Amino acid sequence: MKKKNGLGPKIYLAIVFVILYAPIFYLMVYSFSSGDKMYNFEGFTLNHYKEVLQDTRLLIIVLNTLVIALLSAALSTILGVCGALAIYYVRKLRTQNSLLTLNNVLIVSSDVVIGASFLLLFTIVGVKLGFVSVLLSHIAFSVPIVVLMVLPKLNEMSPTLIDAARDLGASRWDTLSKVILPFITPGIFAGFFMALTYSLDDFAVTFFVTGNGFSTLSVEIYSRARQGISLSINALSTLIFFATMMMVIGYYFIAKRNQRGAGMGVGK
Amino acid sequence: MADQTIIRFENVTKQYDQDPAVLNDVSFSIERGRFYTLLGPSGCGKTTILRLIAGFTEPTKGNIYFHEKVMNDVPANKRQVNTVFQDYALFPHLNVFENVAFGLRIKGCKNDEIKRKVLEALRFVNLVGYENREIKEMSGGQRQRVAIARAIVNEPEVILLDEPLSALDLKLRTEMQYELRELQRRLGITFVFVTHDQEEALAMSDEIFVLNEGNIEQSGTPTDIYDEPINRFVADFIGESNIVPGVMKEDYLVQCAGKNFDCVDGGFNRNEQVEIVIRPEDLEITLPDQGKLRMKVDSQLFRGVHYEICGYDQDGNEWLVHSTKKANVGEEIGLYFDPEAIHVMRLGETEEEFDKRLEAYSEATHAD
Repeated sequence: MKKKNGLGPKIYLAIVFVILYAPIFYLMVYSFSSGDKMYNFEGFTLNHYKEVLQDTRLLIIVLNTLVIALLSAALSTILGVCGALAIYYVRKLRTQNSLLTLNNVLIVSSDVVIGASFLLLFTIVGVKLGFVSVLLSHIAFSVPIVVLMVLPKLNEMSPTLIDAARDLGASRWDTLSKVILPFITPGIFAGFFMALTYSLDDFAVTFFVTGNGFSTLSVEIYSRARQGISLSINALSTLIFFATMMMVIGYYFIAKRNQRGAGMGVGK
Repeated sequence: MADQTIIRFENVTKQYDQDPAVLNDVSFSIERGRFYTLLGPSGCGKTTILRLIAGFTEPTKGNIYFHEKVMNDVPANKRQVNTVFQDYALFPHLNVFENVAFGLRIKGCKNDEIKRKVLEALRFVNLVGYENREIKEMSGGQRQRVAIARAIVNEPEVILLDEPLSALDLKLRTEMQYELRELQRRLGITFVFVTHDQEEALAMSDEIFVLNEGNIEQSGTPTDIYDEPINRFVADFIGESNIVPGVMKEDYLVQCAGKNFDCVDGGFNRNEQVEIVIRPEDLEITLPDQGKLRMKVDSQLFRGVHYEICGYDQDGNEWLVHSTKKANVGEEIGLYFDPEAIHVMRLGETEEEFDKRLEAYSEATHAD
């Protein structure tokens, strides 16, 4: 109604975003600097990017990170969907709530605690620290996230939909594969992407459970940054930033498509 | 007669935990090709009966027969019945064609057979040309038709309809009542229709079961139930009625509101306490001294089709009159009615006793 809703809030918002994004842009700008210090921009160069792309060790680590992220996201999506279905089918409300609480505790508990406890567990059981231990722990902290993304979709589904499927002759498996899973697909996608991003940028848990000869990107950047700043890290970070942006945009379009017509692609 | 019976309930009770029974020792049978309505207020157990037939729930006691075979434990997907749900329960991720085809695909029918049957079903419900629409793009009435098509395409012996018209607006609802009735006649499939709307029940059914608190209060054709309700609940629930206490002086003579009236009911004890029912539309407004009763008009509402006039006689009984003639509030009017308009109800009589009495006294009349 009143025109007062004008400049003030906008300026405030602008300041907030500038503060949030300034360090990233600062870092990105210096990835093109020909010097090797993060001050005094000396001249434009792509040398740091060349350096990154020629660093095979780094590329292997990027590959490791991606493999871990995709594998753990895929496996935790499967486990998480099963978990959400199990919680959904629990009849007693109290049991349902306690299961959900147990699930949520894992999400809110700090990464350090999870990492340390996994380190203990792996040492006791005798799992060699490396690819397997990192993968297992990533799956472990991703499953609760998937459950949390899928469960609301299940609750949104009218129970008569299941009755209707049964009524039309569908077996339990048919009901699951032809009615329930298609209905919760947006939730499954959301869960998968959340798990993927959580796995990609996890530092604390990975730091605990990774061993000699295996590293993910966040751990590698951390250890390189400790040895002294090299602008190739800036270049790498910039690349990661854009990759992430692409993923966010991709997710946005998938979400939008699901909102518009959930029926696409299923009707044969 | 017996081979016409498709479904039979035998002393079926349904009870959840320690709560009072939702269905209490209910027995009835459903025959081929007829339109049945389960009518009752919410919580009377009508939807439970539907879920028992469909197989979504099992009876606590008693048996359900399908062609004289017990089917208590047969799961829903193995039963020859299909349901039209209250919220339609259409699959949002499938288009109209695929929704209707769902049952056939499960059965593993061939593609060209599926296509032929689905298009035929859609023609039955007047939805030709809508095959590729998404469910979201369909209106409430159209979704309703898709749900019906999805049920009939499987060629079940019985179709169950769970208050399917309740989400539609009045005009569409009336239209769908005609269509459903017409559809049932054309298909010749048994329909079991659940509703709490008595007008809907009267308009569509071959036979109505009136339910209350887990019991079948009365069953019969719409006219039977409307003209001869067996108790206060049925009389009250099916349409509006004037229910007044009275005394049966002898057969065919009842006393109420301090006067004796001829009537057509018999088989009572002398001076038995009864209740009489007169439908508001059977009361005719006359001059005060020409009517059988005198009443002072207390209020009047214009209902469109008729005036609804409410008033009290000298004894303080309330009378409701539906008349196309207008009355004036505060005015004294006379009420005239035929002996046939009076229906006498014995207190606490069950349907069985009612039928027996009816038979007994109509035989007595014929013997004269």
